[in-house]
Amino acid sequence: MRAENYEARNHPPSNEFEINFGPNHPGIEGNYALKVKVHGDEIVAARADGGYLHRGFEKLMEQRLWIQNIALVPRICVPDPAPMEVAYSMAVEQLCGLDVPVRAQWLRVLQLELSRVAAHLFTFGGHAATTGMYTPMFWGVADRDLLLDLFEELTGGRVYSIYNIPGGVRRDVPDGFLERLSTTLDYIDSRLPDYDNLLFTNQVFVTRAKGTGPITQAQALDWGVTGPNLRATGLAFDVRRDDPYLVYDELDFDIPTEQPGDAWARTLVRRNELLQSIRILRQIIDRLPGVAGPIRAPIPNPLAWRVPAGEAYVRIESSKGELGWYVVSDGSEKPHRVHVRGPSSMHAVQVLEHLVTGCRIEDVAQIMFSLDACPPEVDR
Amino acid sequence: MNEAHLPVERLSIILGEVKDVRVSQRGPRRTRLDVAADALPALLELLKGRAGFVHLSAISCVDWPKDGQFELVYHLWSYELDLLVSAHTRIARDPGVYVSVYDIYHPAGFFERDIHEMYGVFFEGAPDMEKFILTEWDGPPPMRKEFDSEAWVNDHFDWQDYRPDWLLELEAQGGGIVIPPDEQRFSRRGLPEAEDES
Repeated sequence: MRAENYEARNHPPSNEFEINFGPNHPGIEGNYALKVKVHGDEIVAARADGGYLHRGFEKLMEQRLWIQNIALVPRICVPDPAPMEVAYSMAVEQLCGLDVPVRAQWLRVLQLELSRVAAHLFTFGGHAATTGMYTPMFWGVADRDLLLDLFEELTGGRVYSIYNIPGGVRRDVPDGFLERLSTTLDYIDSRLPDYDNLLFTNQVFVTRAKGTGPITQAQALDWGVTGPNLRATGLAFDVRRDDPYLVYDELDFDIPTEQPGDAWARTLVRRNELLQSIRILRQIIDRLPGVAGPIRAPIPNPLAWRVPAGEAYVRIESSKGELGWYVVSDGSEKPHRVHVRGPSSMHAVQVLEHLVTGCRIEDVAQIMFSLDACPPEVDR
Repeated sequence: MNEAHLPVERLSIILGEVKDVRVSQRGPRRTRLDVAADALPALLELLKGRAGFVHLSAISCVDWPKDGQFELVYHLWSYELDLLVSAHTRIARDPGVYVSVYDIYHPAGFFERDIHEMYGVFFEGAPDMEKFILTEWDGPPPMRKEFDSEAWVNDHFDWQDYRPDWLLELEAQGGGIVIPPDEQRFSRRGLPEAEDES
């Protein structure tokens, strides 16, 4: 709220206090606020307050050429930008009926899974920090940096890769990249026991996280929760397996699930998913050299590209859950409408308000991080 | 082979009970339905109750000013059939009122609230139509096609010259990089020329 719009109000005498939790809080990935009403340290009501990261992407994209939007889309979700550009490219390809070369599809999966590992390291490091343990956070961020180095080598960008264009990807893997990727994966694999010792077998973390912010499977389905948060309630659903895109149906991976649906289970699912992503990446290292062919399908002059009229809805499993892109073209040089369904728009608003109510104030940040709420994709 | 046909068959039985539904297959797991606005809530109820479409993936709103209509698209996923159904309906742009489906799908609460603040469509029966993203916005709904962001910026904000004095001096002598006003990224076109205050 802008200062000039603030009005002091007189409340009837009460033991309840209103606290603005955020918008600048270290326990939140990005600027986002929760207005909570507390009685003692117990939260009796909560109201999500977004919009601090609203940059009007959907409007901006209607005013830019199809090709210009590529530079815009990864910025919609900062910790996990790769799925955004892949989903947008896939939507444009569907509208044009473009066939993506197989090698480009493998490279996209490579980028998506690298991004997932990076995002999960960031999130469970962040969850640890909200319970007061900063070492896993420093480790998580430092290990994520190794993946960002790989991104830099592969795409030229550390965070926002802008690697995809409709029709394929911009460049092939550099010489020796797969060996370096393999070394990094071995390293991250070898780090997991350390994370387990420090975090998942740590009594402080176990006590804080177990039983905090539980969701049942029925509630999760009712509230539209997807991704790791849904899998933490015991439902093995993953867009990669059940609505496969790119070459995921050729890859071998498991879908980790947990039963209790609390903060502990959600973070554990992410940790196990990280292992599966490493497994997928190892398969890519083995199989990518055997996939020959171009990395990009030819597209018309991008500066005068009229995409045929139509609509496409693309779903992708991002690290936060189901990402949906609805793109409508009216046959002109710019999109007619782009709608982004950020996965966090479900669990960062209604579900978060619901979960936080009744818990204690020190668990708010923990619940937010265990849900992996990503405010930029809610605000768009 | 049988299994692949099964979802479509189950779906077609249900669709037979709703009048005037146009079905088109858009891919192996994508189905598009076009339905009249007054039949849509009943259709969603049937899809959820009888075909297991428990997951509302998104509600998208598309503005078609030439037709004077808003298109609402309900993307539904069935965990049982592994099928995505997009139900399209059109409502009049003026007055832009429709019914909420919150009592069928709770995620609709977020999307309807979003469409309300971005397009100005009011959903009757929605639990919460308060602003969420544009909390202090008092202009027209910004995602409507007639809303021109650049014109709004020109009307409501002052352009500021950030060039330091030394650069201005340099440019007065013919140096620096001078960009003519009509080639500037954010041009002042359509605005009256600023009066010289001196």
